[in-house]
Parts: sequence; C-alpha cells; structure tokens
Amino acid sequence: MNAPVVIEMEGVAVVSPRNPELPLLEPVDWRVEEGECWVVAGLHGSGKTSLLHTAAGLQTVPRGQLRVFGEPVPLAAGEALTLLRRRVGVVFEGEGRLFPTLTVLENVVLPLRYHLDLSLAAAAAEVAPLMAEFHLDRLASFFPGRIGHAWTRRVALARALALRPALLLLDNPMEGLDPTHLRWWRDFLGALHRGHAWLHGQPQTLVITTDDLRPLLNVGDHFALSAGHQWRIIGDRAEVLASTQRDVRELLGESE
Amino acid sequence: MDTVVVSSTSLYTSAVRQFRLVIAAVRGLTAFTLITFGTLYTKVGRSQQVIRPLVHDQVYRAGVKLLPIVCFLGLALGMVLVGQIVSMLQQVGAEKFIGQLLVTVVIRELAPLVAGLVVLARVGTASVIELGTARALGEIEALEALGIDPIHYLVVPRVIGFTVAVSGLTVYFLLLALASGYAFAFVRGLPLSLQEYFDHIAAALTLADFPLLAIKTALFGAMTGLVICYQGLAQPLRLEDIGGATTRTVAMCVVGCLCLDALFVPIYLLV
Repeated sequence: MNAPVVIEMEGVAVVSPRNPELPLLEPVDWRVEEGECWVVAGLHGSGKTSLLHTAAGLQTVPRGQLRVFGEPVPLAAGEALTLLRRRVGVVFEGEGRLFPTLTVLENVVLPLRYHLDLSLAAAAAEVAPLMAEFHLDRLASFFPGRIGHAWTRRVALARALALRPALLLLDNPMEGLDPTHLRWWRDFLGALHRGHAWLHGQPQTLVITTDDLRPLLNVGDHFALSAGHQWRIIGDRAEVLASTQRDVRELLGESE
Repeated sequence: MDTVVVSSTSLYTSAVRQFRLVIAAVRGLTAFTLITFGTLYTKVGRSQQVIRPLVHDQVYRAGVKLLPIVCFLGLALGMVLVGQIVSMLQQVGAEKFIGQLLVTVVIRELAPLVAGLVVLARVGTASVIELGTARALGEIEALEALGIDPIHYLVVPRVIGFTVAVSGLTVYFLLLALASGYAFAFVRGLPLSLQEYFDHIAAALTLADFPLLAIKTALFGAMTGLVICYQGLAQPLRLEDIGGATTRTVAMCVVGCLCLDALFVPIYLLV
C-alpha cells in the first residue's frame, strides 16, 4: 500500500517571487510521500528556494496543480491556511530569517506560544529537550545577531521543529558549515528521517535543497535536479552516483 | 509659446499622476484598515500570552517613554501660547473669552495634534523603518511560514499601543499647558485667581467635549498606527525603498490628522 502523498505537483510553474511572470522551473511534476527524504540539488538561481516556498504555500502557483497533504493550498489567509502552515516547517536559507528583536529562546518558542497560547516558561520547558540536543541552551538568552551563522541556522531548525511539523522543508541548510556542524546536521537529519524522539519516533518527511550533493548523499533517499529551468528526478543514491549528466557531476564536486 | 504649452501639459500630467497616486494610497489604506479591524475582531482574546506583552511594549514605547518630551512641550507651549492669550485678553478686558478660547485652542485642537505629531516623529518613523526592514529581509514570510498572522502580530499591537499612547499623552499635555499658562500669566502680575481661571475653562467646556476628545485622540493614534504599518508592510519593499516609505508616512499622517481634525469642526460648532 502506498504511503499518503504529502506534496503533489502536476505541471506546476515555479516563478520568481520578484517577477511572477518569470518561470524558474516549468513544468514540475513531483510526488513526495510520507516519510520520504528528498534532496533537490541545483546551482544558485536555479529555482530551489522558490520551489520550497511554493510547496510551503508562501508563493502562488500561476499554472498547474499543487496539493499539500492531499488538499489544494488555500489562496486566502484563514484558518485552513494557518492549519496547513502549522503542519509544514520551513528552515530558510542563510541566517534562517530569525527575528532579531527576540532572543534565541524566544525565537524557538514563538510558534508554540502563538498557537498554543503558552507562557514563556511553559513553552521553554516544552522545547528544553530540543534546545539541549541542539546545544542551544547556553545561547538561549542571546540575540541572533550575537551568535555565529552556523548557530543561527540551528535556531531556525529548532523554531521550524517546535510545532512538530509533518513536513520539513530546508533551504540549503549545509551551505558554508564547518565539518563539525556539517556532521551534526547530517546526523540529526538522518535521525529525523529514521524517526526522532521529538516526533515520537515518527519518520519525518523531509525536502532538502542543496548546491552540493556530497554531504547529503547518505541522508536523502530520493534525489532531484533543478537546472536550466528544467525539473528532473534523478532517482536514489546509486542513480546519482551513476549519473553521467554534467549538472549532477558538477553538483558532486567533479570538475570537467 | 511651445515651451509654455509643453510645461503646462507636463504640469497637468504630473498633477493627474499625483492625484491617481493619492487615490491609490487612500484605497490601499482603507483596505488595510478593514483587514486590520477584521483581524482585531476575529482574533480578539487569541494568543494573549504573545500579543498582550507586545501591546504593553508599544504603549510603553509610544506613551510612557514620550512622557518627558510631551510634558516639556506642554509646559513650553503653555507659557508661550496660553500665557500670552490670557494676558492679552486681560489687557483688552475680554476675560470672559478666556475659557472659550483655551478650550478651543488647547483642549480641542492643539493637544491632540501635538501628541499625535510627537508620537509620529519619535516612534512612528522608527516603526516604519523596523517594519520595512523586516519586510525587505523576509521576516514577514518567516512569520507566515510559522502560521503567525503578521497583521495580528505586528499591526494590532501597534494600532492599540498608538491609540492608547496618543490619548494618554493628550491629557498630560493639556493639563500641563493650562497649568503653565496660568503660571506664566500669574508671574506677569495678572489679576486673575487660579479659581477664576479654571472656572472660566470649566464653564466653556461642555459634557460632549470629553467623549469627543477621547474619540479624536483615539482616531489620531489609530490612524498613525495604521499608516505606519501600511507603509512598512503592505507593499513589497527593498532596503533602498524604506527611506521613501518613511517620508510618505510622515506626509500621510500629517495630512490624515488635519483631515480628521477638519471633520470635527462642524461637530464642535454644533455642541
């Protein structure tokens, strides 16, 4: 029996957020099933970020069909869209778009406090295991501008996981990390995919974009490529390694 | 001759363009106001653990922290304006108009305008920059991704905070202006007792002045908050657009306050 479909795109046009007339990827035909871990590879400007934002319902779809958790993404703000967004965690690229006027702890607990109307102390107690595992407990009272970018990205991940989303979208999370942080991310994403205690042992459905396939070869179980305005499904790890496509070899760090 | 024709045509085109921009801004602001009040109504009492401290922060920032400057302005303007009015009326034997003049000038007009403009200048402009930067850096998208309504989280606390702040600061301003005005006149040897001075003012005040002042100051505060949030949030901004949005906010708020003020004139003439 097939697992439930989490993301379903049929002939979707992924457009630039600044210019909705400009398609970055078209057509995108893609099915992400529950518990899968997809790695979407592509160079800068290939439309990976816009693809994630489209899947998260943050960008409109001018053409094609998009369903998330089997339902079309609501166009207007309202309860249905809020419920959908509570089920989808997003880790933004770079510094993770943290809120600079809130401390690390306040950033992490904000979605919990807003949706469950919890006090700061109650929400902090709820996320304490996550903060400890992310080694963020000692940085809890710092503002994001005072900590390094590798740590802000962990804060962004903790914030995205705070509501225990059913789908986690990560935009280039490994970019520019040193080997220690890289290993931590690889291990943690692997653990999430297998079933982490934070999610009560449920395997997390993941979509990870990257501009370097190497650190994610052992994390992802499905790979896709966005290059030259085209969307291509590559396959599993073995198919990536066996691929002779120039774009894939380039993303594996091989020079011509 | 051709030059005159061309320049008058371009002047006309420019005027039409400006008029269209003003209409578009008014339409956008009206829609934004309706959305904000819709959110305020549908989400009242929701997420209080997050929203209530944000409202307190805005009241503190736009109200309590501005108390010293508003008190100073109250004292200074009270001396130069109220003191002189009282002295001049006394000199020409028109003491009976003291109350009416002070109620009209200070209580009905000057106090709400000064409080509104101080909030706009000291906190409003900074808020446009904050919100515009948040918009330009994608923090609004981050809020949306977390299922947090940006109107509920960013706009509602500011609109409530500014409304409370302008209302409160108006009261402090007018009390200090009236008191310092009397002090100035007293120092100049005015033969008018404190009792007589406040009797004149109390006689000129009508019962309707109290709710009208509350409504007027609340409208000034709410409009300032709405314009600030509209300019900072309602349209996609790049970092380089924020300066322009800030100056547009100041212009819109000043014009908006004066238009609202004008709406109250016929009401005051009736009471």
